[in-house]
Amino acid sequence: MKPAIVILLSLPLMFNRAKPETALGDSGLAGMREIPAGRYRPFFRSVNESAIVKVKSFYMDVHAVTNAEFLQFVRANPQWARSKVARLFADENYLRQWAGDFEPGTQTPSNSPVTNVSWFAAAAYAKWKGKRLPTEAEWEYAAAAAPEGMQRNTRLTAIILGWYDHPTPTILPPVCSTYRNGFGLFDMHGLIWEWVADFNATVTRQDGQDGAAKRFSCAASSLGAADKEDYAAFMRYAFRGSLQASYTVASLGFRCARDNNH
Amino acid sequence: MKNITIVMMIPAFLLLSCHPRVATMPDSCCPGHPVTAAPDEPAVASNSIYQLDGRWTDENNRLVALQSLKGRVQLVAMIYTYCGYTCPRIIADMKAIRNNLPAGVRDQVGCVLVTLDPERDTPAQLREFAREQGLDSHWELLRGSAAQVRELSMVLNIQYANAGNGNISHSAGITVLDREGRIVRSLQGTGVAGTEVVAEVGRIAVP
Repeated sequence: MKPAIVILLSLPLMFNRAKPETALGDSGLAGMREIPAGRYRPFFRSVNESAIVKVKSFYMDVHAVTNAEFLQFVRANPQWARSKVARLFADENYLRQWAGDFEPGTQTPSNSPVTNVSWFAAAAYAKWKGKRLPTEAEWEYAAAAAPEGMQRNTRLTAIILGWYDHPTPTILPPVCSTYRNGFGLFDMHGLIWEWVADFNATVTRQDGQDGAAKRFSCAASSLGAADKEDYAAFMRYAFRGSLQASYTVASLGFRCARDNNH
Repeated sequence: MKNITIVMMIPAFLLLSCHPRVATMPDSCCPGHPVTAAPDEPAVASNSIYQLDGRWTDENNRLVALQSLKGRVQLVAMIYTYCGYTCPRIIADMKAIRNNLPAGVRDQVGCVLVTLDPERDTPAQLREFAREQGLDSHWELLRGSAAQVRELSMVLNIQYANAGNGNISHSAGITVLDREGRIVRSLQGTGVAGTEVVAEVGRIAVP
């Protein structure tokens, strides 16, 4: 085994169990769950980087933002309507599955996650809600929790890879339709891909200091690592590395996060 | 030029060469914005980086909007002054592009350095850096909030992360903006100041 492979052995490590559900009376936190502080081991890291990243406690949306929710945002902020959006902030496929500027239409059930939204649109929605996008560390940490009631000998990775194997359906299923994880979050895997605030924080291109390009260019070493778990994480990082903030993708949506100041 | 092409192909190549399942996912995401002037152009073009709001602080501790850069061709890079390796090479490339332009054209081209390290790169530090590097009044050094820097990196397609030990991992690139702030070219890597690039910058710099 090459030394480089060791770096790939790394789905997030869980050092904390989910607390019992917290009652969130505060209206701004409705539909969110408090995620306890914990630790996360990045999939890729530079030589000088610490192997374990501490994640502070934060709040995360229970489910991804739906078409109905995004419609409210677009109505309140018409500069984000499909025909109005600045090209700098979203490519020409932005919301293309919607029937019109303010009409999701029959292909996009109101309770299904909104997709074909750019990073800029997702970040603007979050800001409008008084929230923010989760960081990559927060998202990966929150997504690593096992499904509730998962059989002992089942592996989360098997579920993830099973989903990665299937093409995105034309009409996306509603949110909360896959599984709920130990943090009380739905569909962290298995429904859509999700934007994170700093998706461009993994340096995949050469010529930057400590670029990870060499590691990425060697996907074979990920496959060669006996543990398939690495491969699921590898795919998420590779996918993020292929994105630009104005891109829109039919299987890519988002959910919001918020600081926990308590 | 060959080198530039190869470097620019790396991100696409990485995915295509990895696994077919990865390669099919970003299918619908190729923006390909053509740089054309609409007949009835708004004050700020739809694909101009001057769509970004917000105030930045320059090396003289003045507040500036990115829109103030409008009207001239700009070469833009994201750097940090404590970078000992890549950033000096990026700046050398920017100087080379500018210096190789005919004298009359050179004044139509500005250079902008945005720090990736707003914590340590205070206006005073940026001013000192400009002096060390011999950067004249055609150079603008900007510092913003962490959120502004992240947002700009998204627009310029620069990847970066704080490595936590004073170093910042980042991809190297120089973005060429036309007079309206539209991205004409993203030069990725270093050693990119070839004659073709100089010629192109010269062409778009003169009204």
